[in-house]
Amino acid sequence: MAKAKLLTGCRAAAEGAKAAEVEVICSYPIRPYTAIMMELAKMVANGELNAEFVHGEGEHAQLSVVLGACAAGARAYTGSSGVGVTYAMEIYSPMAGGRYPVQMSIADRTLDPPGDFGSEHTDAMSTRDQGWLLGWACSPQEVYDNTLIAYRVGEDHRVMLPQMVCQDGYFISHIPDTVTLGEQSQVKEFLPPYRPIGPLSLTHPVSHGPQIRPDQGAPMDAQRAQTFLAVPKVIEEATADFNRIFGRSYDPFVEQYKLEDAEIAFFIQGAHSNTARSAVDRLRKQGVKAGMARLRWVRPWPTHQLAAALGHVKAVGVIETSTSYGGAMRGGNLIHELRASLYDLDDRPLVTSFMGGLGGETMWPADFDHIAKILTQAVTEKKVRNYVQWLGM
Amino acid sequence: MQAFDYKYQQLEPVKSFKRVPGPEMYVPGHRTCAGCGPALNYRLVAKAAGKDTIFIGPTGCMYVANASYLCTPYAVSWIHAQITNGGAVASGIEAAFKVAMRKGRHAGPFPNIIVMAGDGGTVDIGLQAMSALMYRNHKVLFICYDNESYANTGIQTSPTTPYGAATTFTPPGKEIPEGKVLFPKNPPQLVIGGHPAVKYVATTTIAHPLDLMNKVRKALSQPGPTFMHMLAPCPKGWLFDEKMTREMARLAVETGMWSMYEWENGVYKYTNVPKKYKPVGEYMKHQGRFAHLKPEHIAKMQAFVDEKIKAVSQPIPVAAAVPGKQ
Repeated sequence: MAKAKLLTGCRAAAEGAKAAEVEVICSYPIRPYTAIMMELAKMVANGELNAEFVHGEGEHAQLSVVLGACAAGARAYTGSSGVGVTYAMEIYSPMAGGRYPVQMSIADRTLDPPGDFGSEHTDAMSTRDQGWLLGWACSPQEVYDNTLIAYRVGEDHRVMLPQMVCQDGYFISHIPDTVTLGEQSQVKEFLPPYRPIGPLSLTHPVSHGPQIRPDQGAPMDAQRAQTFLAVPKVIEEATADFNRIFGRSYDPFVEQYKLEDAEIAFFIQGAHSNTARSAVDRLRKQGVKAGMARLRWVRPWPTHQLAAALGHVKAVGVIETSTSYGGAMRGGNLIHELRASLYDLDDRPLVTSFMGGLGGETMWPADFDHIAKILTQAVTEKKVRNYVQWLGM
Repeated sequence: MQAFDYKYQQLEPVKSFKRVPGPEMYVPGHRTCAGCGPALNYRLVAKAAGKDTIFIGPTGCMYVANASYLCTPYAVSWIHAQITNGGAVASGIEAAFKVAMRKGRHAGPFPNIIVMAGDGGTVDIGLQAMSALMYRNHKVLFICYDNESYANTGIQTSPTTPYGAATTFTPPGKEIPEGKVLFPKNPPQLVIGGHPAVKYVATTTIAHPLDLMNKVRKALSQPGPTFMHMLAPCPKGWLFDEKMTREMARLAVETGMWSMYEWENGVYKYTNVPKKYKPVGEYMKHQGRFAHLKPEHIAKMQAFVDEKIKAVSQPIPVAAAVPGKQ
């Protein structure tokens, strides 16, 4: 077993990409994800990684370069943060529609204005309707692990979809934590080489991405929707294999922390779940039956798994680290999908949401105490007073 | 600059029409207009490049009217790119083949990677990706098939639309009698002027097929990025009789509206230079897009062309090439 090292999330992502033996990398600088590319640039320069390191002229180009590389049969890797993620917006749908399983590593950053380096999930969340696999890690270890798991799932021939592996900027990307890197033999057992389907070739000519007629559109869209129905099984298989080979214990979709007998629960993704977890322990000492559900994949959204995990809870507080101005619940995104996931239950929990960690603000233990108080109040009153509350005002 | 040390093809020049390679790589199955210059252009480029070729087709006429699902005219591999990113997608393909050859997955030869971009996909929305490709020293031939407008969307002005042309975004009217008031960008000069990795740039037209094919073959035989600018007249956009597509390209050269040259390692070589240039009106009178122009507008165009062709008689390198071979 390899020894644990102290690594940042960015370094962990780079180590994951190196372990996956990525072949074409396309970079463009923007904080905070840049450190991933700085690490990979060193690995390529030192000859530790046999890859082409292409200096993209922007994020739009980054995505375009890795699209071409993947179409030509290479395992390709890129990444970004904040407005960089949104600058590349045009290319997300051709990537997913073309079924190019590239990986994009994202260290979240707020969108402008005003300029702010802090972490907020709106950058990657803005792409959630583009047909990519999308999920968040909550530690540098999970960043490394998700890099390998996402490639394995995305490149599976039942899937063939691009993946966004997200981590909070700074909280994870720049704070070192213990990471156990896999042995290359473990990686080899877990992640087979990329086997493209119909790549650009001299011996077997293919046309990628021709025009269709409108009547051909719906069947193709339906095919992609069908694919997403098949993804959860592939995620389950990959996670089980990963846990077995690397000795981890991930739930494929939702980390369930002390939920079995919980009356109130935090629903959260990303870095602040670490504070939420310790809040659960503290609240339990005070006699509050609290628990936490942490989302690992936003796409595909684990509808049934969430219903199973949270159905028995009396009140759920969704912690939103992204914005959806003017949305049904007037705050973030996750509450919409969580409420929809629970809707068909006969006896469903009360669900409200809390805007937290916006602008990259820390979520403090007191924030979770406050949330717990409001959830307990909702349980007593048998209703939620608000769809959303803003923390840190 | 890192040397390109992968086995790639040396394509010999085609000496005469009789020796033009037989196999067609751009075959029936497209839906272009009668008399389409860019379709003819594609056919000649594909024929010259041969089977070991991968085309990148940014959005434009040659995407929308060519590549239909289940009915593709490409006998070699082809991939659609967005109108924005032909250069970037090509860069990724080239990088992937380098790794594939290093790892022994692809035995070679290194493919002829060709971007076939329209004028918008080259010097307007596609400029950034094209320039980055040229800067980064990828072994890719970037071709601008220039039909001087956004034709597929209904003939809107592009940066290469000539002064005085009527387009659907530059309609002549009482306030703006010329229609288009700006003078066009010069794509090959943009490349030559600022991309030290580039050693070969050429211009040609669809009316000069042997010249076109040989320049393509020469470009593909270089170890780095190359650029070609090809005049591909558009009957629908320029409003001329569709029988006259080649005639339009020939007249463009005879009037000085278009210059034929190669630029190799900093040195210009002009060909097809008329002994005496015809007045630009001889070219413009066939095209409905110029029909509204008054004599003073045509004089303005003539002055622009007169200035431009001075360079042909006194070729001056605009950028010093990086010394030494790659």
